[in-house]
This record gives sequence, structure tokens and C-alpha cells, in this order.
Amino acid sequence: MAVNYSVKEEADGHPSGGVGVPGGGAVGGGGGGAVKTRKPDNTAFKQQRLPAWQPILTAGTVLPAFFIIGLIFIPIGIGIFVTSNNIREYEIDYTGTEPSSPCNKCLNVSWDSTTPCTCTINFTLEHSFESNVFMYYGLSNFYQNHRRYVKSRDDSQLNGDNSSLLNPSKECEPYRINEDKPIAPCGAIANSMFNDTLELYRIDNDTRIPITLIKKGIAWWTDKNVKFRNPTGDGNNLTALFQGTTKPVNWPKPVYMLDSEPDNNGFINEDFIVWMRTAALPTFRKLYRLIERKNNLQPTLQAGKYSLDIAYNYPVHSFDGRKRMILSTISWMGGKNPFLGIAYITVGSICFFLGVVLLIIHHKYGNRNTSADIPN
Amino acid sequence: MLFPQLYVPGQQNLYFNKTVFVKCMLQGIYSSLILFFIPYGAMYNTMRSDGKAIADYQSFALMAQTCLLIVVSVQIGLDTSYWTVVNQFFIWGSLSVYFAITFTMYSDGMYLIFTASFPFIGTARNTLSQPNVWLAIFLSITLCVLPVVGFRFLKAQLKPTPSDKIKEAKKRPPPPSPKRRLRRTSTRRSGYAFSHQHGFGALIMSGRNMRPKSPFATTGTFSPNSDKHKHKGL
Repeated sequence: MAVNYSVKEEADGHPSGGVGVPGGGAVGGGGGGAVKTRKPDNTAFKQQRLPAWQPILTAGTVLPAFFIIGLIFIPIGIGIFVTSNNIREYEIDYTGTEPSSPCNKCLNVSWDSTTPCTCTINFTLEHSFESNVFMYYGLSNFYQNHRRYVKSRDDSQLNGDNSSLLNPSKECEPYRINEDKPIAPCGAIANSMFNDTLELYRIDNDTRIPITLIKKGIAWWTDKNVKFRNPTGDGNNLTALFQGTTKPVNWPKPVYMLDSEPDNNGFINEDFIVWMRTAALPTFRKLYRLIERKNNLQPTLQAGKYSLDIAYNYPVHSFDGRKRMILSTISWMGGKNPFLGIAYITVGSICFFLGVVLLIIHHKYGNRNTSADIPN
Repeated sequence: MLFPQLYVPGQQNLYFNKTVFVKCMLQGIYSSLILFFIPYGAMYNTMRSDGKAIADYQSFALMAQTCLLIVVSVQIGLDTSYWTVVNQFFIWGSLSVYFAITFTMYSDGMYLIFTASFPFIGTARNTLSQPNVWLAIFLSITLCVLPVVGFRFLKAQLKPTPSDKIKEAKKRPPPPSPKRRLRRTSTRRSGYAFSHQHGFGALIMSGRNMRPKSPFATTGTFSPNSDKHKHKGL
């Protein structure tokens, strides 16, 4: 190869070993200056001589990496697992499929039931719940991630665009027009909004003390203030602004009667916004209400007997869904989720073990391959 | 042509054949499973640190996508043989451009201009600020990359390819081999310093080293010993 190369070099008349001659290609070379040579410049970049570091997987880098990752992951996993275990959570399934459940009578409600069905479930909290407590409703076997369902909304209409209000997008079909009037809000997601009402009472010597549930501050700030806007117009009368539209088919009341407070009414109603943020998995929970802590001395929810009053309006039995209410505290890593802690501990231990195994293999077999194998 | 045996694996099709392809596919399947199930497990039934939703479809998609891009960048870095400045600029640059584009696409401004096209507004801000999400991303990177590293290291230890051996050899300092001295004058010099002879001037001028005749046809000036030295010099 060296011989061939030198022949080419002489044809060019310019040895490629020369350094520090920028732009020498055009000038040098035998053959005169009439023809511009197409040789690339003799710079470090074009001649591929940039300073480089070569990552080679030697025992000195790989084995410490395995050990260090093992040693870092295990404490992180333990920390996450302990944090998750300290989160208090209580779940009640109130679908009512079992005959003994108080909500069994409400199992076959339908969308257009005029008489509301109510049921009450009593439960006991073993431990008290400190700090802010969050009340969620959870659904199972409800595929909010079905593609046709996810697309069935009109974001322009929900952003308050007046032309989209009266002419919703085609994606909302078949929930776009009802009785010749456009539906506001249109689409299948809005149509299937969760409309059970849950109330919590504490039972203290046969007296029911209602627990204050806060309904604001449950949706993302960007959702409430940017993504969802009521249609603009003169006056704060939402009824007038929504004129010409009709309510979704499955709703009991139109959208401008969702709440009496004006900053939680219409499209910016927080329950509506929370529902419109479609869940990724068929078993999900959505924030329903907040229970704020009273002061630092008393726990937010003391241990004891409680009672949950449910206005059971949302039918799930037809698709074998389940409904539940969850009370939970929160930590820096969110809700109770032991998966991440267990995964970190497992991966850390496996890494450490693999590191030891690789060390043994390296000791036994690695030093066989010396440079004597390579004829020089 | 320092190491001609480096050409052998190419001729024998050792680096791309059906076995290697199947191995690549298996690694792809494994990575895909990790990149879905780690975010799935991390988001299942959990919430943000202020209690609001994180398990929604948009946050899940963003988390899986971020995991994927970081894993791919790390894998590209591993597969690159020479880390130059240009190389590193493009790897880190593409990651930062990803984050820049994501935050731009999910910003308020883009949503208000093109409402239907950018429905993911606010997702990047709300999701990527959660330590939960970053822990899951870190876990999935480790799970995807460490088996590759371990596997390659194991292969290099147990069944090293010629290029592995050469890389190992280059890393060690070369043993002091007896170099072939190009200039023989030094040995000659020490030789004749003690030889009490005239030196080689007359030899060169006579042209004897140009036309090697029988070593015994010499004039009387040189001894057979110096003739031996002379022929070695050629």
C-alpha cells in the first residue's frame, strides 16, 4: 500500500504528509497553474486530522461504570420506595356490581334518567392524613386513548373562537350538530364527561360533619388560562354568548350552567378541563377536589369513620367499567407509585452483580489476549 | 498495511450477516419494550407533585419521546469511533434542538397562532419539571445502554476481533523491540575506534561496495574481518 500511495503522490506532486500549508492544493502540484486543482485544502478538518478521543471499552472504564451505577441506583431506589410508602392512600370502588354494595341500585342508570340515583358508602380511615389531601375519581376499562375518541374535539371552539363556536370542526362528528344547532362543546370527549357528584362527611358520634372540598386549582394553569377560553363578547352573560348552540347530548345542563361562579363557568370550568385532558391508559384517575389542610397542628383527615355521598349519574356497567373514589396525599414524586423505587433497586442490584461477574470473567479470560497475537 | 488481518472480517462477511441482523432486531425489540413500559410503570396511577394530572396522553407521549431521543443519542455516541469536536457538537446539538423545538411547539404563542396544529400546549412545561419523569428517563437510558456496553465488553474479552486486539495493543506501550538501526555508522564507529585501522575512506573511494566481488579478492589494505563488516552494511 505504501508503494501505491507514493505513486499517486508523485502524480500529484504534493506529499500529503505536509503540515501547516493552508490552501496549498491550488498552488502546489505539478502541472502549472492554468488548471485549478480539485484537491481539498490541507486543513485539519478536511484531511480528517481533528484531535479525537477514541472511546474504547476497556475493563478500566466498563467495570467501574457498572459498579458506580449499581451503587448510585440502589440508594435512589430505596429513597423513592420509602417516599412512596409514606404516602397515604385510600380507595373505594363504588361501581355497585356486587349485590351487597349500597350503590347496586344505581347500577343501571342511563344518560337520560330524570330522577338522580344517590347512594352512600361508609368507610373508616385507619391512619390520619396529614398535609393536603387530594380526592380523585378513578375509572377502569375506559379507553380515553382510543384514536377516534382523542381526535373528537375542536380546540379552536374551546379556545373561544366565535366562528368555531357556531361551526364546529368535522372531527367532532357525530357529536357536532344536534337538532340543527351546533353543539358547544362538540365532540365525543366532551359528551362523555364524568358527572357523578361526590361529597365527604366525617362521622363524629352520629353527627355528619361535611368536609370542605375545594373545586378550583385542579386543572393545569396553562389549560385553564391559555388553552380553554370562553367565547368573547360584550358583557359577562355567558348565556348570551353561547346563544345559537345547544348542549351535548349526554349532558343534563348546558355548558354555561356548569357552575354559578363566572370564572369557573363555561369552557373554563375546571372539572370540564380536567376531563378534556384525555388519559393515556385505560385505568386512570382524575383530580376531583382538594381538601386543604387546616393548620399544622391538626391532621387534615383524622383517623375515624367517614361517609361518602354519591350522586350516581355516570353509567359504566355497559362496558364493564369500574368507578372508584381515591383519597391520597402527595409527595415530591407524585402519588403512590412503588414501581419506580422497585425498578431502581432491581436495576442497581443487577448492575452490581453483573459488574462482579464481568470482573471475574475479565480476570480469568481477559489477560489471554496480549499483543503477541498480532504479528507486527 | 500495518495490520493486514483487519481485512479478513470484511472478506468473510463477519460484520453484517443474518446473525448480526437478527441480533440488531432483538436489541430493537428489547429497547422498544423498555421505552414503553418504563414510562408506563412510572405514570401508572400517579400524579404530579401538586396533585394534578400527569398520566394524560400528551404527557405520556412526551415522556416516551424524550426517553427515546436521549437513548438514541447515547447509543450514537457509543457507536462513534472517534469523538471529535464536530461529532460532539452535532450529538449535543441535536439533543438541545429537540428540546428547543419541543418547548417552542408547546408554547403559548404557537398555540394561539395555529390552534388546531399545536394542541400539546403546556405539556413540556408541566411534565418535564417533574423529578418523577426525569428519574424514569434516567432509568430507561440505563436499561437500554448498559446491556449493549456489557455485551460488547464481554465479546471483546472472550472473542476479540482483530480490531479489538489491535486497539488493546495500541493502548499498551509497545515493548522495547530491538529497532533496526538504519544508520550503521554508529556501530561501525565504535567498531573502528578500537580497531586501530585507517577507516573506510579509501574503501568508499575505491567503489568496492558498489560491486560486491568475492570477499577474498581484495588488496592487501584490508583484513578479512573488515570485509565482513563492509558487506553487512549493505
